[in-house]
Amino acid sequence: MNDRLFELLVDSFTKILIPGLTMTIPLTIIAFSLALVIAMVVAMIQFAQVPVLKEIARLYIWIVRGTPLLVQLYVVFFGLPNLGIMIDPFPCAVLVFSLNEGAYCAETIRGALEAVPKGQMEAGLCVGMNYFQIMRRIVIPQALRTAFPPLSNSLIGMVKDTSLAANITVTEMFMTTQRIVARTYEPLALYIEVALIYLIFCTVLTKLQSYGEARLNRLVGVKTTR
Amino acid sequence: MALLEIHNLKKSFEKQEILHGIDLIVDRGDVIAVIGPSGSGKTTLLRCLNFLEHADEGQMVFDGSAHDLHHIHGKEIAAIRKRTGFVFQNYNLFANKTALENVTEGLIIGRGMDKDKAVAIAREALAKVGLADKEASRPSQLSGGQQQRVAIARAIATSPDVIYFDEPTSALDPELIGEVLDVMRALAEDGMTMIVVTHEMGFAKNVSNRVIFMEDGSIVTAKESKEFFEHPEDERIQTFLSNIDRKEA
Ligand SMILES: Nc1ncnc2c1ncn2[C@@H]1O[C@H](COP(=O)(O)OP(=O)(O)O)[C@@H](O)[C@H]1O
Ligand SMILES: [Mg+2]
Repeated sequence: MNDRLFELLVDSFTKILIPGLTMTIPLTIIAFSLALVIAMVVAMIQFAQVPVLKEIARLYIWIVRGTPLLVQLYVVFFGLPNLGIMIDPFPCAVLVFSLNEGAYCAETIRGALEAVPKGQMEAGLCVGMNYFQIMRRIVIPQALRTAFPPLSNSLIGMVKDTSLAANITVTEMFMTTQRIVARTYEPLALYIEVALIYLIFCTVLTKLQSYGEARLNRLVGVKTTR
Repeated sequence: MALLEIHNLKKSFEKQEILHGIDLIVDRGDVIAVIGPSGSGKTTLLRCLNFLEHADEGQMVFDGSAHDLHHIHGKEIAAIRKRTGFVFQNYNLFANKTALENVTEGLIIGRGMDKDKAVAIAREALAKVGLADKEASRPSQLSGGQQQRVAIARAIATSPDVIYFDEPTSALDPELIGEVLDVMRALAEDGMTMIVVTHEMGFAKNVSNRVIFMEDGSIVTAKESKEFFEHPEDERIQTFLSNIDRKEA
């Protein structure tokens, strides 16, 4: 590797990492947290079979899962201004990513809730607890243990998907890299460099996942047999 | 006055009637063994008594207050459930709670009891079923027999008027059945009112004071235990008993 290229990589490393820390990570954390809130509500509505709301929940999931994330970003960022609705790039990305991820996570959580044996609810009723007490103390903790690994997967997926935000002018890591490439004509080295930074982020998250699973096992107990 | 009276309880699943008008009177201190072939509606009957299934028709008089089993309010259901216990065939211990928490949950959360008092009661209940040393164990760390004994501790801790048992030993390995039956026998000797669906004829004969024989969703016979086993005049009962003998031989 020649010196010029080496210097370029060192120089661009911080240039790429900074938007990673100021854009990619905040975008992921904010959007994923909102997604979890949405998912929890949507999953509970379906699990409890709330009339009307459960139809709306199905419709939401159907639309989100049936259309590409990139198209959703375009509709909201480039399309809604036609109706006079303008949203800045970053909040727009937060909105679309959280709505999108919320639908997927809702399905994960609903599945996990349904996987908790019915007998857990029945036993709770028989010792005199009410529905909400049983959900909060017995069913949801067990479901979250089941849902934790797939939710972690979704989070890791989202870190990478935030690169799509470049399309709506959010200057996150990938867009920053593209700009450097345009100036320096070193696509191979620079794109590999940004890939490695994504890899580092995801590796950290994977480690956190293992740690979280171990903690949850202690907190919630091992998974229900049967 | 009887503790519990059931009149004309009917229950259908998908238009097929499973219970055809059950009548039942339970006095305080009764230990009633409910026996009968598989599919005869024993589980459904117990579940209707605790409203895990919603009966289509029938009346219940619980400790003097009358309820329509079909048009019953959530509040009445909650009040009755707080005075009953239920022991399931597959234990249904709360998987995310320790043995002690399994017992305190209904006291602290269900009844708003303060924690110290609940823990003291729970420890006593666990001691009664011989599991004082297992209070910190999770269900997954306990054998089937131990789990079922925790489930019994959970049921007795709330001092119910009656406990319903649905085949409490059927899911257990044969060598673990005895420890659960011993606990149940001790409860019976303490005067606990119990309705026990069971295939353990020894328990029905020696511990229960009455036997109810069900078939096809009806009660064929309800008799004193001694009388039931000494003079099983009904042919269906004779067939059932001899089938069980053959299985156990
Ligand atoms: N949830 C249900 N849905 C449909 N049919 C049921 C349901 N529960 C029980 N049954 C039917 O009701 C009948 C009685 O079942 P059950 O009460 O479990 O009998 P037992 O406990 O005596 O073996 C059976 O024919 C069974 O298939
Ligand atoms: Mg049964």
